[in-house]
Amino acid sequence: MPVVELKLSRTNRIYRPSEHLQGQIIVNSRSSISHSGIRLALNGSVNLQVRGGSAGVIESVYGVIKPISIVNRSILVSPSGKLASGTNEIPFSVILRQPNENLGKYYETFHGTDINIQYLVTVDISRGYLHKSLSATMEFIVESDTADFLERPLSSEMVIFYITQDTQRHPLLPELRSGGFRVTGKMSTLCSLSDPLTGELIVETSAVPINSIDIHLCRVESVILGERIITETSVIQTTQIADGDVCRNITLPIYVILPRLLTCPTVFAGPFSIEFKVYIVITFQSELSKLHPKTDPRTPRLWLAIESLPMELLRCRSDD
Amino acid sequence: MEFRHRDYSAEAKLFMLRHDRAETHPLSAHSSQQANIADDQILQYDDPLRADDSATVSSFYLEDTENSPSIGVPSDSAFLSAEKEWSSFTRFMTQRFPVPKLVSVTSVSNAIIKVGKTHEKSSTGMHSEELEEPQSITENEVKVINRQYYINRLREFKDELIRAWDASDRVTALKISVKVTKLLKDTCVLQFYPTLFVLVTDILDMLGNFVWDRIKRKAEFTEDGARICSLPDLHLVNGCFSNPVEPLYGFCGERLWFNFENFKIKDICQNAKETCHNWFCKIGAIQELLPRIYLELALLPCWRFLSDQPVVVTQRLVVMARGLADPLASAYCRLYLTHCAHKLPSCDVGVLVSCVNDMNAQLKHFITAKETDGSTDNKVLLVGVMEPTIEYIIKCMFKNVSQRELDRTLLALGLGRNMEISQCVSVVLHHILKELAVEVVSSNAMEFLQLIDHSNDSSFHQFMNYRLLGLRLCEKRPPVYIVDTLVNNVLKVIAQNESLDEYLTVIDAYLDTVLQNHLDSCIKTILEGISQRSCNKEIDENGVLSLQSILGKLLSHYQSVEDVFALSHFLEILDLLVGRPRSVIIIDILKMATRNSYIRDPATIELLFEISQALNDSFDFANMKEDDNQPEHLLSRFVQLVDFGIERERHLAFLVECRGAFGTIDKLKETLVHSSNGLTVKALKDAKKNVNFVKACIAFSEVTLPSISTQIKQFNLYLETAEVALLGGLISHADELIDSAISCLHNMEIKEGSRAAAEAELLLSSIQKLCSLLVMLPGNPSHGSVHFPKILVSFVTNVPWMTPRMKTGILCAILPLLAACSQNRLPYHADKGVLWGSNNVFFGDSANLYELVSLSEHIVQNLVDAVLQESSPAARGAMALEACNSILSSFTIKDETYAICSKLMETAKLCMNESNKYLQSTFHLLEKKSQLLVKG
Repeated sequence: MPVVELKLSRTNRIYRPSEHLQGQIIVNSRSSISHSGIRLALNGSVNLQVRGGSAGVIESVYGVIKPISIVNRSILVSPSGKLASGTNEIPFSVILRQPNENLGKYYETFHGTDINIQYLVTVDISRGYLHKSLSATMEFIVESDTADFLERPLSSEMVIFYITQDTQRHPLLPELRSGGFRVTGKMSTLCSLSDPLTGELIVETSAVPINSIDIHLCRVESVILGERIITETSVIQTTQIADGDVCRNITLPIYVILPRLLTCPTVFAGPFSIEFKVYIVITFQSELSKLHPKTDPRTPRLWLAIESLPMELLRCRSDD
Repeated sequence: MEFRHRDYSAEAKLFMLRHDRAETHPLSAHSSQQANIADDQILQYDDPLRADDSATVSSFYLEDTENSPSIGVPSDSAFLSAEKEWSSFTRFMTQRFPVPKLVSVTSVSNAIIKVGKTHEKSSTGMHSEELEEPQSITENEVKVINRQYYINRLREFKDELIRAWDASDRVTALKISVKVTKLLKDTCVLQFYPTLFVLVTDILDMLGNFVWDRIKRKAEFTEDGARICSLPDLHLVNGCFSNPVEPLYGFCGERLWFNFENFKIKDICQNAKETCHNWFCKIGAIQELLPRIYLELALLPCWRFLSDQPVVVTQRLVVMARGLADPLASAYCRLYLTHCAHKLPSCDVGVLVSCVNDMNAQLKHFITAKETDGSTDNKVLLVGVMEPTIEYIIKCMFKNVSQRELDRTLLALGLGRNMEISQCVSVVLHHILKELAVEVVSSNAMEFLQLIDHSNDSSFHQFMNYRLLGLRLCEKRPPVYIVDTLVNNVLKVIAQNESLDEYLTVIDAYLDTVLQNHLDSCIKTILEGISQRSCNKEIDENGVLSLQSILGKLLSHYQSVEDVFALSHFLEILDLLVGRPRSVIIIDILKMATRNSYIRDPATIELLFEISQALNDSFDFANMKEDDNQPEHLLSRFVQLVDFGIERERHLAFLVECRGAFGTIDKLKETLVHSSNGLTVKALKDAKKNVNFVKACIAFSEVTLPSISTQIKQFNLYLETAEVALLGGLISHADELIDSAISCLHNMEIKEGSRAAAEAELLLSSIQKLCSLLVMLPGNPSHGSVHFPKILVSFVTNVPWMTPRMKTGILCAILPLLAACSQNRLPYHADKGVLWGSNNVFFGDSANLYELVSLSEHIVQNLVDAVLQESSPAARGAMALEACNSILSSFTIKDETYAICSKLMETAKLCMNESNKYLQSTFHLLEKKSQLLVKG
């Protein structure tokens, strides 16, 4: 049985819309193969799905919403002919975005809970009616054209935050309420995807010893379903910045490397949006917390203090 | 046989050598020329401990030549030594803390537990152990596991990691490293933590090297295996060149265009950067802070593929480590950071300064935060486990810091101009003081003093810091104008300390400074301070050592022992010492006292006597080895040097006292007899003779003598005392003493052995001396004049161990004695002839002469026999000549004597070379005498 494979020119499989998707179609066969044409199909789409979250029972039943197509193109790489026995390497090169196409349409690859933006390349070698056609599919990753966006945000603005017992809207442990605490800091809320999230944090006072301070990076996926907006928030990365009862009045750095694939530039498209949020969660030492070892960090608990900051992620021109 | 008549005074004149007057006295001062030569020699003399100036210069020169071609490049050997230092440091660290066999762990260390090998602390543990199920530790629980098991598990992890890496399973490799690193979160293990740290960082370093090599390969080769460029190895990047000036060559010998100096990220291909970036993303995704920092540190050198300024990364990691609240975990994390930062080509001192400052702040927080809990012991233990990290980081910080950088560093540490407002924790301050250049310490001594004053916390004993400052100041003296104030301040501060041991420890460090600057009032204060604190407090081991050192310094400072005794409270303080340190100090005092001349001050003598007694009590002289006889020697020397001047009664009383006190020391008893005899002679020389005192002295010697255990010494001393008694006219005493001496001979035995010959020689000369003494002894009429010679002859013939050689020697000595006794005028007299000699009693008595002659004949017969008994021909010849000479000088030559002499000469000729001068001269003498015989 002959085997066909796709091999892309870049090991990381990242391409920009303005670039050519290049690679090779590799066909391995003991005998020669005659075919009626080798075709390459490019397919990009936004798949929307609603489950759980703020969606109701009925929406969940309906589940899948009709996908939004970004690109769907088929190219003839080779007309009908014959492939010799052994390994055949057929190079290809396809431009992703045709010059006349819409600029903002090529959303970056993203794999979320409700929203899935995926680009696939498929090779298809049809061999007439007698033989099964050979095919292989591969995902490639699209990152926005740096040219499409602004220059790197100049020394991104920092948002100043402070967390005290009074900023918390959920019930706190009595000793937290009475003893009080004050944690201040600042953080950039406009961030390039290639750079880490940065900021700093200072524990000024805290009567109750601190157990841990964590930065939870969350994505917020919203899908418009009829007249409703269904929003799903999920934690994609947790980064601890303080372990234990740290010294007071010492600057602790916030430094979070953004996870690849799980993040993309903030998108506000018509039918859906992808946004990001940062939760700063202070866990205080408490016997109670041990009774609930695993909870969603964003769930308000008596021993937690939480502050959330919206985060706008951008694809910026990198240095190279 | 007939004795030869002798006129000794005529013979003496005849044989006296010609006297010439000398121009200069041989012992007078050297001429000026000689002195000059001596000075030159002193100049050329090299003190091996003094720095060799020429060597210093040359090493400076060498450094210059090495550095000049590579300006700006950190010294490569420094890196190499840093690596070596690290490995020796970690080895030392694991050995420093005694690790119990069992390690207690908390739930954090779950990874280490594979199967039910844990031992629960509770009694239910037995039950759960039997189940043999894998158990994990629940929170708040402390489990105890075997240390070796723990270590073995870590080894397993390491092997697992290597396997995973070899199988290209990098995700697993990373996961294992994270798992292992998480173990460092468990600081419950306390003393095991350093060991754990070393094992874990070893694994991390290995991972770091793996990743470096992998990315380097990606940077060097394309996917097809074509070489893009050549990068140096990690250890080369870190500068392990054997010679930094030597260029680098690739595998094929091509000159590498590349060395770590111009290793820029633009030279690195995209693929390698991508891989590298990926690694840091993976690490960045680690949720927990501690493993995230450690992993990034392990891969720190790889930042060089991504950034030309990797030092920025180090700075970020330093501040990230602030998030670790556990003091132990964060301290060790900073230690690893220091280690990893050295792998980067340019290590910024600022990074280490921040580390130290953070550590300081954290310690301060930690110490004050829990002060209320009362768990100070635990805290002290914890600080102890942390101490190596502080030590290492501070050492690295001050190493290779230039003067300009130093000022900046100090400023950054808060030790700049307004040093006193700095907030150093005492343990940090301690190590800063320890590592800081001595010039800085010395010129800022006052500031440091204040700093120590302010830093009084439980992390380190404050007094130890005072002590350290003192010791550092000894290395380089502070400016004169501050010494006085400084010392006074120290004394004032330490005066508040009630503890004797701490007081002593501090004082010990400053004493040198005090003494060098002649601050006598301070010495007084110090001694008073010690005395006050000593009232009712026990002194511990360290205190004793400090006190020993203090007293030693005082002793070496003063010239005479009187000055030392004059110090207030000195003796009282000396009494604080016990055991060996006390003996050491007493030995020092005795050394000092006996260094110069006689000891005349009665008070000093009494004090010395007291401490000598103490020394004597502490030593077991009977069981002492021969090479450790210093105390014995010193005590004897002390007794020897005591001089009461004309108060001889008192001196004798002192000797009696000494005998009572030091009765066990043989050597000292000898000295006592010598001293007593010396006293007698002095008394005899006095104008008014005090016969009773002389008798008392002799009696003292007589009583002391029998207890001396070495027979030969006893014999000699008997002779000496007999001589003195004879000089004092106490003839019966002298008689008895000689009697005792001879009976002492009978008890003697010379055993076979290496020293036998030397001992025999000594004994022989002593017996010869006895013979010469006997000439002067008037003799006891009731015993007859030949009483002692007879006993001697019987001794010679009866003692089994007597060798022919010795026999000959003794008999040859007795012959002239008998000859002398037969003379009218003796060759010499005790006390210039005022006293009677041996012949005075018996001269002219024919019976006596007959006895002398018959004994002589007996001796001659024995002598000839003895010569013939000797087995060695050479010795036999010499002995024959000696016997012949002795006979010739004692007797007139008659046929009978001639025959004996000829026989002896024949014997000698057979044994010796004809040309031997002794043989020839003896032969000539015999010829001359025999001519007289022919004439006669």
